Amino acid sequence: MQIRLNVNGGTREVDVDPTTPLLWVLRDHLGMTGTKFGCGIAMCGACTVHVNGSATRSCRIPVEAVADAQVTTIEGLAPDATHPLQQVWVELNVPQCGYCQAGMLMAAAALLKAKPKPTDDDIDAAITNICRCGTYPRVRAAIHRAADAMRSVTVRQS
Amino acid sequence: MSAIGKITRRKFVIAAATIGGGMSISIRFAEAAFSNREPWARATGGGAVELSPWIDIAPDDTVVVRVQSPESGNGVMTQNAMTVAEELHCDWTKVRAEFISLSRDLPEHKVYTSVSGMGATFAGRSTLPDRMQLLLQAGASARERLKTAAAERWNVPVAQIEAKNSLLTHGPSGRSLRFGEVAARAATVRLTSEPVPKPSSEWTLLGRSNPSKLNNPLIVSGSAVYGIDVRLPGMLYAALVQSPVHGGRLKRCDFDAIKNMPGVRGIAIVDPDEPRKRVKTLFDGNENAPQSAVAVVADHYWQACKALEALPLEWDDRSGAQWKTTDQIYRGALAALDHPGEKIEKNEGDALKVLEQSKRIVEATYLTPFCDQAPIEPLNGTALVTPNRVEVWHPAAMTQQAFLTAVEEGGVGPENTYFNQTYVGGSFGRRIFADDVRMVVAIAKRFMGRPVQVIWSREEMMRQGRYRNMTAARFKAALNADGLPEALLVRTVRQDAQQGLVSSAYANLGTIPHVRIESREFPLHILWGAYRAPTYNSNAFFFESFIDECAAAAGIDPLEYRHRLLARWPDEGWRKCLATVAAKSGWGKKLPKGQAQGIAISNWSMWSQPRAGTTVAVVATVEVTSNGELRVAQLDLAFDCGRVLNRDAVLAQLQGGMIFGANMSLNEELNVQDGRIVEDNFDRYPMLRMADTPHLRVHFDALTGHERHNEVGEPPVGPIGPAIANAIFRATGKRIRSMPFRKHDLR
Repeated sequence: MQIRLNVNGGTREVDVDPTTPLLWVLRDHLGMTGTKFGCGIAMCGACTVHVNGSATRSCRIPVEAVADAQVTTIEGLAPDATHPLQQVWVELNVPQCGYCQAGMLMAAAALLKAKPKPTDDDIDAAITNICRCGTYPRVRAAIHRAADAMRSVTVRQS
Repeated sequence: MSAIGKITRRKFVIAAATIGGGMSISIRFAEAAFSNREPWARATGGGAVELSPWIDIAPDDTVVVRVQSPESGNGVMTQNAMTVAEELHCDWTKVRAEFISLSRDLPEHKVYTSVSGMGATFAGRSTLPDRMQLLLQAGASARERLKTAAAERWNVPVAQIEAKNSLLTHGPSGRSLRFGEVAARAATVRLTSEPVPKPSSEWTLLGRSNPSKLNNPLIVSGSAVYGIDVRLPGMLYAALVQSPVHGGRLKRCDFDAIKNMPGVRGIAIVDPDEPRKRVKTLFDGNENAPQSAVAVVADHYWQACKALEALPLEWDDRSGAQWKTTDQIYRGALAALDHPGEKIEKNEGDALKVLEQSKRIVEATYLTPFCDQAPIEPLNGTALVTPNRVEVWHPAAMTQQAFLTAVEEGGVGPENTYFNQTYVGGSFGRRIFADDVRMVVAIAKRFMGRPVQVIWSREEMMRQGRYRNMTAARFKAALNADGLPEALLVRTVRQDAQQGLVSSAYANLGTIPHVRIESREFPLHILWGAYRAPTYNSNAFFFESFIDECAAAAGIDPLEYRHRLLARWPDEGWRKCLATVAAKSGWGKKLPKGQAQGIAISNWSMWSQPRAGTTVAVVATVEVTSNGELRVAQLDLAFDCGRVLNRDAVLAQLQGGMIFGANMSLNEELNVQDGRIVEDNFDRYPMLRMADTPHLRVHFDALTGHERHNEVGEPPVGPIGPAIANAIFRATGKRIRSMPFRKHDLR
């Protein structure tokens, strides 16, 4: 079945079983491999993307359910990977193996959009992704630092 | 010269002859100089000049360091590049890294393996002396050849040339050249003698700099290519299932039932009994042996998954099915502890006699369960097999083991087998043995001419692990008048003979005059392997829990008790770790009701030697509520690995190891039902998340400065569990003698 998708601001047509999870459409049909497969049951968060701006685990959501939605993946988070979170992530050496980090970044970006000044409790509630390497302390520190950086930019612009 | 030089003088000479100007130089072009999204070395491309098999330099000064160790999250790619850059004197911002191509090894007279050996393609331990010396030498050699090339160009003595920040300068005339401008000429230079790397006291990068990892930009943009991200023209996808009871065989499989499902191309049946021409690998035991399996191959992975789900299958479970429950296994292992060991691992003095005559006995029995490494990238791999050629793209944690396994399973010889090392989405020991590569090649060879990517579902991966072994242990000590152990008897029971307890701390201190360690094998069908710090992750729990029990029996503070035991041990690092972690954590301070601290210390992997391995002491601060809920509030850690080359990278490994150790102790257990592993995903095999993570405090003050740069990824895993268990005892009076702690009722 032909399905039209809005991904990272562009329109893509795919011929696919409409029950196929969004994750596999992104990875196998559209060749966008930044979104990762981790558990397949929406428990680990490696497959997190934004659907209409909300952090969504793409491994359990059928592609037909997002046909009219705006989907954003790690590849489209910011031009040339310049989102403040991506920059701080590099600066603070957040990733270890890095495999879960695209999902972490997407979850963090959605959080900062909703709560530009998140508390530790906000972070605990929003970032439920699994990192087996144990990068959690750095993820937390990086979210706080990116939030600060984004606020100071906003202040300068206003 | 540093200790590195002293230890590896022989290696140094061998390396000098092979790495540097002594070998014939081929000029080749490295595309990877310009992009390492796909991190494997290529044989084609444009621009760069190869100075040695380890280093390319491009006209724009880009330096490509070829790294022998896969990057599985420990920063080894960056660390190796730093080691080369230390001697090359290049601009760090121009450095890139890629993984060596073992396909070059044979045709170029074992250009990599003759100098680095087999274990050197393992993801860890990149700062051990052999590997450090090799990389320092490669950098120094390339630098001297660049200097010589510049000197020849200007017709001046080479001694007047200085190399710094990718620039070659002739002081007297003020002339300068960039590395990239003389790289081609340098590649033809043969040095009359190899330079000696500078002493560690003169290092400017190592031990002084904490650069952002080279692959960070690729990770945060989603463009780093892990095994699962490999995309090849015409590629098919496979989903597989192996015998649910390890060691079983496929009995029946009805392909006709699924052959018309969308996208299905066929199935591949992997027969472990098919004759294979053996190839010598580092690990060629059961963990690497082929398993009975069936895979469905389709145009897309989701199609393969759906068809596999629908495929009617029958298995012959074989002998593993006799194990009906986990309890049956645990009971069997614990009962085996009642019998003397089959193997005496250590026997000093006469422990049995002293124990028999003593009136002051402490005895305890412990058990650790099967655990899964559970890296977040599921097992996978891609292979393209044609009648005379096998090419593999794979996230191996030990490249050469994977390459040789591909050679064995492909059957076309090492000269016709090509292996491309991708980034690795975590390993923790799971991707060492290459059982995954074997399955990938076994499936792809039934679809000749088409690349096939095989992906394990999380469920399949967790049920088909190479697990951390279940281990049962009984400790018995006779305490002397001072309350210290006069004699110690240890018995352990596990599936394999590798007990490793003899290298544990108190077995070698000399403080305990009579020590006897026995072991007994307990054969099971369940496949086991390496899990972050093999044997140590259980042994540290046993020893440090038991020492704590002895301290309690003697009525001595657990910190003080350990200090007394370690008083004569000729490695001050142990005492320094204890003192540091106690001071930093406020050991002995008054805590609110329900809260308590516990302490533990251990070392990986000292192999019974002082001033070896990495010593780690941990204080856990826990809270147990009146309804029995456990919260690990804080973990303080002090360590001694000798010296630190990259403080931030060390900190990251220790933080990660602390969380890994906490999860192992609190959460992890695999159960068995009718021979099959029960837990198959994160809903039943829980993982600590952000909200559950204790406050982690790592203290660098216990470093002795001894001349070694020992590993830090595995050592922190051991003492976390016993520190938590010992804290639970002090909070509740309950001794926790088995993992996972979440199963214990603490009310």
